[in-house]
Amino acid sequence: MEPAVKITCDAARPLVPSYLDGELSEAQASPLRTHLLDCPACRETAKAGKALARWFVPEAAPAVPAGFAARVARRAFAGDPGLLVPEPRPVARVRPLLPFLLVASAVAAAVLLGLAIALQRESLPRESALDAREMAPPWLESERRLESELRLEGELRPQAVPQADR
Amino acid sequence: MLTMHEQQAAREDAELVDEALGGNQLSFQLLVERYQERLFGLARHYTKSAVEVEDIVQDSFLKAYRRLGTFQRQSSFSTWLYRIAVNTALDFLKRSGRSPVQVVEDPELTAAPQRAQAGSGMAVAAPDANLARQEVARITAEVLEELPEIFRTVLVLREFEDLSYQEMADVLGISIGTVESRLFRARARFKEALLRLHPDFATAD
Repeated sequence: MEPAVKITCDAARPLVPSYLDGELSEAQASPLRTHLLDCPACRETAKAGKALARWFVPEAAPAVPAGFAARVARRAFAGDPGLLVPEPRPVARVRPLLPFLLVASAVAAAVLLGLAIALQRESLPRESALDAREMAPPWLESERRLESELRLEGELRPQAVPQADR
Repeated sequence: MLTMHEQQAAREDAELVDEALGGNQLSFQLLVERYQERLFGLARHYTKSAVEVEDIVQDSFLKAYRRLGTFQRQSSFSTWLYRIAVNTALDFLKRSGRSPVQVVEDPELTAAPQRAQAGSGMAVAAPDANLARQEVARITAEVLEELPEIFRTVLVLREFEDLSYQEMADVLGISIGTVESRLFRARARFKEALLRLHPDFATAD
């Protein structure tokens, strides 16, 4: 007879849920059973798992409506895709339209705003047009030129010597 | 390992599937009759409305019929059908705005695998012998409702539908290791919710 394989608490505890679910092979379950006999702490873990499992009592199953199977089979063979299938339906088609309309409206608004700004700029005088010289009447320039010529002439003319100094 | 009865049932399912694929409506109706009660029992864990339960089950069967040609005989028809039904129920919740928690959204679901159960504080006592069976069932249903669908699903498949870890892995499309860790967390959540709603069922760990 082979000696029983000993396992530690650290190795035993993670196996407890699978053991209670009947998912361990005999090779895994056997050393765990031996360990549970020797270890009160791990035995408590198993006991707690069993206590929790006893809560899983199902409610009475809902009654299947009369003629359900015949109705479903008939619909299946008639090619009915069902109510909840993800294939596009009228409602599903309308929904994606909203984001598109929002984006389209935003783009249209931006274009109109840009256009309005451009037109407004076009109607305003340019910076060069605000220059005072450009805005002055044509005759003013010749007046100015004459004035500066006269000033220059005056500066070059010899000063009149006062009579008393002679 | 399948029992003789399960093997017989699997053979009968396979025959009915073949006949339905050959155009026999009555064979498909017999398949529906074989599984309708189990699917109604499964679907009612996702909604309280009897009408919605019926819609989920009906759609599951209609989907199953449309995909009957893709049914691989490696797994049982019941496992294949459960997979369709669970996905239909979760899709239904998503479409009705009761979105199920996704694995990627819940760090606890993607965390490291199971740890020891001891030292987690209070334990749950087994239901009192004086408590009527219906009362235990009512409390359990109330507690299950508190859990995210992903945890509820593994508990329902394991505890009520008696699926093995391998069958659960096939139904949910996950590994056996993930089934184990998800089941462990689901039980911990169930215990926590039960003690929160009914502290009188606590016992020292």
